Amino acid sequence: MRPFDYTAAQSVSQALAGGGAGTAYLAGGTTLVDLMKLEVMTPRQVVDINRLPLRGVSADRDGLHVGALERMSDVAGHPLVTGGYPVLAQALLRSASPQLRNMASIGGNLLQRVRCGYFRDTSTGCNKRRPGSGCPAVDGENRGHAILGTSDSCVATHPSDLAVALVALDARVRLVGRGGTRDVRLADFYLLPGDTPEREHDLRPGELVTRVTVPALAWATRSAYLKIRDRQSYEFALASAAVALDLRGGVVRDVRVAVGGVGTRPWRLPAVEEALRGRAARPEVFEAAAALAVEAARPLTHNGFKTTLLRRTIVRALTNLVG
Amino acid sequence: MSGAARTVSVNRVDGRLKVTGAARYAADQPVERLAHGYLLLSTIARGTVRAMDVTAAESSPGVLAVYTPFRSLALLGSGTPFSVGHSWLPLQDAEVRYHGQAIGLVVAETFEQARDAAALVRADYEVRPAAVSFTDGIPTATDPGPFMGEPARLEFLADGVGSIDEALAASEVTVAGTYQQPGKHHSAMEPHACVAAWQDGALTLYTGTQSASLTVGTMAAALGVEAAKIRVVSPHVGGGFGNKIATWAHPLLAAAAARTLGRPVKVVLTREQTFTITGNRSAVRQTVRLGARRDGTLVAVKHQVWASQSASGGIFESSAHTTSRYLYRTENLHLDQKIVTLDVSPPTWMRAPGQESGSFALETALDELAAELRLDPVELRLRNDATVYPGRNVPWSSKHLAECYRVGAQRFGWARRNPAPGAVLRGEWLVGMGMATANYPGERFPASVNVRFRPDGDVSVSSATADLGTGMWTVLAVLGAEALGLPVARIRSDLGDSTLAANLGAFGSGATASTGPAVAVAAEAAITALITLAVTDERSPLHEVPAADVRYDRGELVTSDRRIGFPELLRTVSSPGVEATGTAGPGPEHGQHAFTSFGAHFCEVRVNRWTGEPRLSRMTTVVDGGAIINAKTARSQIVGGVIFGIGQALLEGATVEPQTGRIANGNFADYLLPVNADIPPIDVHFLDHPDLLFNPLGARGIGELGTVGVAAAIGNAVYNATGRRIRDLPITLDKLLD
Ligand SMILES: Cc1cc2nc3c(=O)[nH]c(=O)nc-3n(C[C@H](O)[C@H](O)[C@H](O)COP(=O)(O)OP(=O)(O)OC[C@H]3O[C@@H](n4cnc5c(N)ncnc54)[C@H](O)[C@@H]3O)c2cc1C
Ligand code: SF4
Repeated sequence: MRPFDYTAAQSVSQALAGGGAGTAYLAGGTTLVDLMKLEVMTPRQVVDINRLPLRGVSADRDGLHVGALERMSDVAGHPLVTGGYPVLAQALLRSASPQLRNMASIGGNLLQRVRCGYFRDTSTGCNKRRPGSGCPAVDGENRGHAILGTSDSCVATHPSDLAVALVALDARVRLVGRGGTRDVRLADFYLLPGDTPEREHDLRPGELVTRVTVPALAWATRSAYLKIRDRQSYEFALASAAVALDLRGGVVRDVRVAVGGVGTRPWRLPAVEEALRGRAARPEVFEAAAALAVEAARPLTHNGFKTTLLRRTIVRALTNLVG
Repeated sequence: MSGAARTVSVNRVDGRLKVTGAARYAADQPVERLAHGYLLLSTIARGTVRAMDVTAAESSPGVLAVYTPFRSLALLGSGTPFSVGHSWLPLQDAEVRYHGQAIGLVVAETFEQARDAAALVRADYEVRPAAVSFTDGIPTATDPGPFMGEPARLEFLADGVGSIDEALAASEVTVAGTYQQPGKHHSAMEPHACVAAWQDGALTLYTGTQSASLTVGTMAAALGVEAAKIRVVSPHVGGGFGNKIATWAHPLLAAAAARTLGRPVKVVLTREQTFTITGNRSAVRQTVRLGARRDGTLVAVKHQVWASQSASGGIFESSAHTTSRYLYRTENLHLDQKIVTLDVSPPTWMRAPGQESGSFALETALDELAAELRLDPVELRLRNDATVYPGRNVPWSSKHLAECYRVGAQRFGWARRNPAPGAVLRGEWLVGMGMATANYPGERFPASVNVRFRPDGDVSVSSATADLGTGMWTVLAVLGAEALGLPVARIRSDLGDSTLAANLGAFGSGATASTGPAVAVAAEAAITALITLAVTDERSPLHEVPAADVRYDRGELVTSDRRIGFPELLRTVSSPGVEATGTAGPGPEHGQHAFTSFGAHFCEVRVNRWTGEPRLSRMTTVVDGGAIINAKTARSQIVGGVIFGIGQALLEGATVEPQTGRIANGNFADYLLPVNADIPPIDVHFLDHPDLLFNPLGARGIGELGTVGVAAAIGNAVYNATGRRIRDLPITLDKLLD
């Protein structure tokens, strides 16, 4: 770990005053401290934001609001979430471990870094960690890597489960900086790697994520998060699907499908949704729609199975939701 | 003591220490003026370190010294002591033999300072081409020469049969398969760690080890110090699984640095470092060909093995010699072991070395034969049960494998299995059942125990053995209590210190079988010494009573008219205690039998019909391990062994990058071990058939047995569930998607 200065901000304005390039905000620290120990992240200043009032889970006409410093475990168990948006609660509960969920914040979760083994090992190259140093995953170990949204520069999957569920629900994040406040759709917030994999999202230096808003969606009560992985807990997704269904008389009136573990960012599937709308909620329909999910897939040497797995994951999630 | 050990079921005597955090493992030892070492590892697979830039590291805060091949620590350069895990001593030359080899040690005032300084060291290498791919290396495989007392290529043929292939060709039914598994890592909860402290030319080394005595010998040889000046202390070991038998680079460097710096030095490996600084299990490819008659009688077994070995030496997987060698009766047997020597970190013993991989291949092949013959897999095994050890023609001392199958099938509900593969669908899950056999040799070596009557009323029972979480602390207390007729609470066990009564330690599932019998011998001798004291000391109330008239009874000495407890006696005569050491070991009669523990596993597996993930839903394991001393810790041993096998079957495997020789998943995020959610209820049942030909306790070992056969049982269940035969471990969902 490189030496750094630590300060604890007492207010948003104080945090913003200390923010900027070379500074990292500290929330739960489960990503930041981990990567600092590995010397993958080497901020010169760390500003602890845990005392800021970015808390609370509430609902109003605009939808569900979650403060950026709410802990994953608290949000997962909140009645507004378990009752109105099961997909969110499930995505949270299938993440990490109870100990981590007790520490980790919602804002930090959305900004967590990729789990690519090369990114985490400073003895290897990695374009994301050290721009221009190459991407060893392309020819190396890539069983867990992405099939959607990759570039020659980077093929790492976006790791957050929560983000997949939020993208399915069209969530927005509120970003506060010295220049002002803006609301951004989470789906637009994340960037494709392209030639600049070191740029992962549209957060400007010094900006804070203060809250997440999920637009009201009555039929999100029929929603679920299915996460497929080798072991049954404490592992990132090989493929996952966040789905919500508005079902009337066996027909899909409306639907949301976003997938994880397969894309370089949380991946919404509008074409799949379109193919389902107005159709009977039947396995053949689900299978035909799910096939559209992988049309643009670019498998790597070890992750070819993900094209099949992704289709099946979507079909299984939808089938279970119909019940 | 007469007859077999009585089974008890008691809590671990060290349990409270462990759950309260009071148990001191190697890295927890409070030592004053401690300095902290951090290892530097190579980042290439093969070559020479040309230079190392240590200037920044040396001027980093708190740094005391940076040792490299160019500023080395004095270790004996010529000849590596036997139990070092590799063929060279660290930092004595600039060679890099594999990725992740120790090439330096930074010592600083704190661990963090040492780690930070280590990140500043730059190594410049001359890189040479390395052979790291096991698959690519198969054509270069060589004969390892004889091992385990037998040639690497071993063949028994029936009269008139020219070759094994001829026997196979003549068989009514044959099956053949190639089985593969990646290399694996022990992943003990306690990472390897040590504290080395010198005083007046004598070394005390705190380190988690399965054998304090082997470690003393190794350290003495490497440091050029008499063995009498070295004490190894290892009261608690947080899991060993075979990887804490050999001595690795860190205690050698810590002790040498402590000697040079004149300060105690601690080195704790990071989890990532344990993957290459310490040992692993070979990657293995096997081919098994079985020939049988229509009725299921085996006629020919051909088992070929290729196991990875390191150019730095190590212990390779001996898959066929530990399984097919004796598990089933067959007229024609052919075993062939080869090694594939690579520029990788050395393999070492790992729980059920050989049996783990061998049973996967053999027991899967048997399932394939059963399917081919349309015979129940249990019935096929019963028909081929071996009664004498093939080629040696000695009977087993005690073998109840057939009973394991029957009892296991009954407990599990095997009769409900649908033999047709892929026929049972429950909801979205395909369900299947599978079974396999477990075997592990009964091993026993000479061991000594000291028993000491103490004036405070307790009795110490001690030996230089080890408790790896295995339950040895408790076994010593239970057996001491049994031998002396005292409650367990009055026995103070002690172990894990090389200065205690001589003992090789804990490996080969032989700790209880070896140490246990010595408890009774030592107890007898201590009682004799107590009686001698009672009748010879003038202050004793029993002074001048003929020794033959004094009897020991549950802590008291008894004559026709008197009775005195040993604490009172010791206090009356002002004795600090009476002790004796007893030794027990296998005798010449051991050649007349074969000693093996057996078992049978039955399991149910679910495979998701959409996404293919295999999930274990329940498991029954029946064990024929002789007498069981403490049912509670014995059950834990079997459950732990089974979980080891679940990891082998479904999750574990090191990924060595062919381009770099780096272990791509050398950490606990990427090297997947089972978590609680992966473990279903495990039903363990012990047959209670004491093996009195083996030792007076009748107890054989059970520490490794539980692992053997689990992967095959699971794979066989996956086949029954899906109709897909996965011969390539681990069985992950990608192999089960269409
Ligand atoms: C072993 C392990 C397993 C895991 N498994 C999963 C899993 O299965 N699924 C999953 O989704 N996640 C998983 N995670 C990731 C985990 O969810 C994240 O580490 C956690 O959510 C990060 O939150 P935090 O509060 O600890 O963030 P921190 O570590 O404090 O911060 C993370 C990053 O976000 C920045 N940051 C934090 N808060 C703000 C803010 N409000 N405004 C601006 N910047 C901010 C920090 O500067 C830092 O760069 C796992 C993590 C570990 C260690
Ligand atoms: S996939 Fe991305 S994160 Fe991984 S090595 Fe390549 S550039 Fe780095």
